Amino acid sequence: MLSYYLRLALKSFARTPGLTALMVCAIGFGIAGCVMILTVYHTESGNPIWWKNDRLYAVTMDSYDPAQPADKKHPSLPPAQLTYMDASYVHSSRIPQRSVVMFKSGGVLSGGIVDRKPVPVIARVTTSDFFAMFDVPFLYGSGWNASADSAPAPQIVISRKENTKLFGGINSVGRTIRWNDHEFRIVGVLNSWNPLPKFYDLNNGPFDDTEDVYIPFGWAQALQLQTAGSSSCWGAQEVKTYRDLLGSECLWIQMWVELPNKAALGRMQGFLDSYWSEQHRAGRFQRPRNNRLTNVDQWLADNDVVGDDDRVLVGLAFAFFAVCLINSVGMLLAKFLNGAAITGVRRALGASRRDVFTQHLVEVGALSATGALLGLGLSYLGLWGVRELHSLSATIGSGVQELARMDGTSVIVTMLLAIVAALAAGLYPAWRVGRLPPAVYLKSQ
Amino acid sequence: MSLDIRPIVSALLRNRTGAALVAVQIAITLAVLVNAVFIVEQRIQKIGRPTGIDVDNIFAISSDGFTSRFNYDASLREDLAYLRSVPGVIAASPTESIPLSGSGSSEELLTRPDQRSSDGTLANYFEMDEQGIKTLGVHLAAGRNFRADEIQPPIRRDNSGSDEGVPPEVIITQDLAQEMFPNQNALGKTVYDALKKPATIIGIIDHMHGSWANFGPPGEVAIFPRLPMLFGFYYLVRTQPGQRDAVMRRVEEHMESSNPNRVIKWVRPLSMFKQHLYESDRNMGIFLTTTTVLLLAVTSLGIFGLGTFNVSTRTKQIGTRRAIGARRIDIIRYFMVENGLITTAGIVAGCGLALAVGFWLTAHYNLPRLDLYYLVGGVLALWILGQIAVWQPARRASRVSPSVATRTV
Repeated sequence: MLSYYLRLALKSFARTPGLTALMVCAIGFGIAGCVMILTVYHTESGNPIWWKNDRLYAVTMDSYDPAQPADKKHPSLPPAQLTYMDASYVHSSRIPQRSVVMFKSGGVLSGGIVDRKPVPVIARVTTSDFFAMFDVPFLYGSGWNASADSAPAPQIVISRKENTKLFGGINSVGRTIRWNDHEFRIVGVLNSWNPLPKFYDLNNGPFDDTEDVYIPFGWAQALQLQTAGSSSCWGAQEVKTYRDLLGSECLWIQMWVELPNKAALGRMQGFLDSYWSEQHRAGRFQRPRNNRLTNVDQWLADNDVVGDDDRVLVGLAFAFFAVCLINSVGMLLAKFLNGAAITGVRRALGASRRDVFTQHLVEVGALSATGALLGLGLSYLGLWGVRELHSLSATIGSGVQELARMDGTSVIVTMLLAIVAALAAGLYPAWRVGRLPPAVYLKSQ
Repeated sequence: MSLDIRPIVSALLRNRTGAALVAVQIAITLAVLVNAVFIVEQRIQKIGRPTGIDVDNIFAISSDGFTSRFNYDASLREDLAYLRSVPGVIAASPTESIPLSGSGSSEELLTRPDQRSSDGTLANYFEMDEQGIKTLGVHLAAGRNFRADEIQPPIRRDNSGSDEGVPPEVIITQDLAQEMFPNQNALGKTVYDALKKPATIIGIIDHMHGSWANFGPPGEVAIFPRLPMLFGFYYLVRTQPGQRDAVMRRVEEHMESSNPNRVIKWVRPLSMFKQHLYESDRNMGIFLTTTTVLLLAVTSLGIFGLGTFNVSTRTKQIGTRRAIGARRIDIIRYFMVENGLITTAGIVAGCGLALAVGFWLTAHYNLPRLDLYYLVGGVLALWILGQIAVWQPARRASRVSPSVATRTV
């Protein structure tokens, strides 16, 4: 029966090729618009480490200026970063299963075997738990031990990209390399890793590339490293020496903890609160108590990773899809009613209303499947166009381009939704044509 | 002239669904069109606002001295002497951040030393030397430029350099002056930083944009006469018009090998940073425009499709009308009026929808209130579009021969 209905559908398409093409285009464009915008939105609004959402927490404390909030747009939020002294103290707690303090720093890498020229790199100065905590994949080797953190060992982890550039992709673990003209031993090479959004440090752009190299946190003090990320200082405090900076109210350290359960979360909150009270009595922390342990979902929301423009575009995509669907319903209705004479003959020859309904629904199905295929092609082209529009960002070091890559799930989900929606849209015209009294149409022939 | 609306309305009512669907499309299209044009217009204005800087003739160099043998003072002296000697270069200055790059520094400036920090003004500052003003190509509306002997040494974390905060002299923009000293002449006035260190305003720039486009007022900028920190700094170079690219290539080639103790991370035109700064605004404009154009296309195809369908199902009726004396123009008019009625119904609903969407955008997304002129424009545009889309089917209808009426009975 299905193949007969499909044959009828093809015949019907052949009768009105123009109208059929219009409908396929309408469905195709509607789907393409949705797939494109939702693909970008899906990545933007996604949580790249969702499986740890109930374990990973960003640590923030409001140590800011008593006279004004750190972020005027979100006055209820504490600043996104900590001072060096607070981060160091909280990091000493034994409550978290894992704990990371870190910042981003500039630098130059030299001494490769393929490319001998010094190359500028971005380094993450971090503690040993970083890799296990954020499930960072290794190609070769591993991270460093906790003992390498404080009395810093000259150990370095490099990204897959740098390993390819400097060592031609071989296992470079055990080799030495110079970072800012200091000798480091490579202990690990990362596999490709580019979480979007870059949840662990959103300061310079939520879709920035991950860092090229990783070194133990103790090097900050040993080499007097400055942040290449964001630093926010307030109040009347002179920062003349590096020691001044470490003791200052400047906010430049990101901190995350991994807490295995609710009990640990409660204990950690208690730890922060009692540290706060102690410091408050000593004259610091003069803003209302606002110590937070924020999970990744909430962290991404607090930091406005999904912009207003993106939400407007999602609304636009749905409006566009709605118009395309309504348009198809109108044209289907016109087309089916136009073919009422033929349907009349079929009804007179014994086809039931249900047969007529099914037959027309098969026709709608064929149309929307064709439209969906066209839509897939169009969205592929469209996403390529979006990546081209972002090509400048890629040069400057942001992964915004990567947002516009088709991922299997969102394509399949969108397509299924689109086909279901198109079929639903076809229900009414298919039903209407089945309800027509055949006699009227037979008479007029 | 009678438009014969009554028979048209009663015919429409007998075949409501198709007409209603087209009206709904028109309503949604109007709501999207009006708000999209409104947003795009604002983005175009934002991208096009003057920066005050000679963007097209400036390029930036990122230099990073990475070995312990790197001598900041000697290297800076040597680099600047070289850059200023290259033919085609108007001026060059070191700087700690690049204007229009989306990344920069700011400092709270106060008008009185005892003012609370929350009452101060956040000034986006740049550390440059005495050629800074000339390099940026900005104009001093009042006062004077820095003298070479006023340029402070860089801030150093080993206690040997300059202090943080404001240097004794600053040059600020008119926008910042207005914000700090409304309706007063700011030239010669003193500003203070959080450490209560005073600085005298020795010059006022008529207009200049700073580091950011989406973060505070873009034009509240101060120039500090100080060399940038040792740690990763930049040079800005301004060339004669048309010579930027040639000078850039030559400079990059020379500087890459002139000092083994530093790397040149990149040499990029300033226009690239400006383009990047406004990239999301430009892309939003492109997305909105593309989608709106497609939406208009789909809607007009819908009108066209409905018109064609109506004509083909009413062939006999048209023939009959023609046979009993209707002229071609009457038939055309019939379909145009019918479309006009449907469009009007859609537009009435669309006006409400457009205002609702506009209101929602204003409430949630910090957009200004929708200007009603846009609504008027949108209504006219859709009305005309509807008439154009139905013109071809209407003309086809008018060609139906009166003999059709007799033939098929």
